[in-house]
Amino acid sequence: MMNMEHDNKPIEVGDGAAIPTKADAGLFTAWRISFLGAVGALAYLVIAKPDPYLNILKFVPDGIVVTFKVTIGAILLSLVLGLLTGLGRISGNRFFNGIASVYVEVIRGIPLLVQIFYIYYALGRIVHVPDMLSAIIAMAVCYGAYMGEVFRAGIQSIPKGQMEAALSLGMTRSQAMGHVILPQAVKVVLPPIGNEFIALLKDSSLVSILAVSDLLRRGREYASESFAYFETYTIIALVYLIITLILSKLIGMMEERINENR
Amino acid sequence: MKTGDQRRMIEARDVVKYFGRFKALDRVSFDVREGEKVVILGPSGSGKSTLLRSINQLETIDAGRIVVNGIDINDPATDITRVREEVGMVFQSFNLFPHKTVLENLTLAQVVVRKRSRQEAREKGLELLRKVGIAEKADVFPGRLSGGQQQRVAIARSLAMDPKLMLFDEPTSALDPEMIGEVLDVMKGLAREGMTMVVVTHEMGFAREVADRVIFMDHGAIVEEGTPEHFFTSPTHERTKLFLSQIL
Repeated sequence: MMNMEHDNKPIEVGDGAAIPTKADAGLFTAWRISFLGAVGALAYLVIAKPDPYLNILKFVPDGIVVTFKVTIGAILLSLVLGLLTGLGRISGNRFFNGIASVYVEVIRGIPLLVQIFYIYYALGRIVHVPDMLSAIIAMAVCYGAYMGEVFRAGIQSIPKGQMEAALSLGMTRSQAMGHVILPQAVKVVLPPIGNEFIALLKDSSLVSILAVSDLLRRGREYASESFAYFETYTIIALVYLIITLILSKLIGMMEERINENR
Repeated sequence: MKTGDQRRMIEARDVVKYFGRFKALDRVSFDVREGEKVVILGPSGSGKSTLLRSINQLETIDAGRIVVNGIDINDPATDITRVREEVGMVFQSFNLFPHKTVLENLTLAQVVVRKRSRQEAREKGLELLRKVGIAEKADVFPGRLSGGQQQRVAIARSLAMDPKLMLFDEPTSALDPEMIGEVLDVMKGLAREGMTMVVVTHEMGFAREVADRVIFMDHGAIVEEGTPEHFFTSPTHERTKLFLSQIL
């Protein structure tokens, strides 16, 4: 069902890794335990049993690069899509509102894996698109819908009086949006958007079903040659964990800096 | 008190406004002349704020006609932003922009709407901050100010646009009692300078001292209208008498 009226509802948080909060300021934070544990485990495995662990680790960096390319490309594209969708969802214009709302409802109702297949084969019927680009588009189309909801909630969390004050000073709606509402909304949406980034990075592993040699696919390639399935996926999991932990730390630091500049 | 036939700044005729099925304004007509100070009184829910907000189209009316500064604001050909540029508005909840410093609050619309240079806008902003007595807070964020200071900044922000008319929507209702005076003083100063003002308030002292005319509203309609002397000493309608006996 369409659910257009959740004003003042807290922003839904995706299933990304937890972003450190100030409450975690002690020495043994969950983040530190996880990060040091992951790095320690990886170091131990590589040093104690270089065969196969070191060999696996040497095999996957190409995949890490591809994972980053897909993730960053999809983040940039989904931010644009998400902002447009969010603005459409709060627009009084029935046409834009309708398009944005239907987009969100449809995309949220289809599993990402199915979307990746679908967009890959649908695009392939019209034009020849490189696998990686097809993967990025699929991820962005999916995450654009989720980010649209985050942007919508963020914009709606800014008190109505702000728009009224800007309008009463003679600003147009778009001037008020650009100078008054969005700068405030950005601060509100940063934590949930950060969670979406992390979730997107993890979900980017799904593109390995296309012929995109990301981190997971590189692992699969290695495992299918060496039959060292357990060892390979141990390394893959640790590498994903270390990357997402670093990302969540960076986002937490960014958030802190923005809050300081108030 | 001003009399004679100055230009009409606001001309409202048979204004009707519904919120759903609730009739918020019921065929309201009134005029405000240039330089006139009009205070609108009435119990809460009587339509005072709705009437004020429809003057700069923060509320769109369902029937009737409002002409502001010679422009019919409900004419589809009217660019409402051109009207709002000339009409300052001060809100109960201040509505300062929290992500901008006090001075930036004053310069933003000058630059974006009036297309003034940053330098010109800064000078104008600082001059107005001096006028409302908080020039030393120019580079502070609004969250650091008291309610009274915030409201004075909000008034200065509106004045920075050189409005021809100022609307005040219960400007002191959200303030602690000891801060009401400083805001009213700024408003009185503005009145002395000849600004056209429409003020929705519960401050009877202000109404008596400053108003050229008092409008009393109840149930979305104007019940009584007259000079403060007439209104406070010899009101004619029962509802006005009842209101005054409750509030004074």
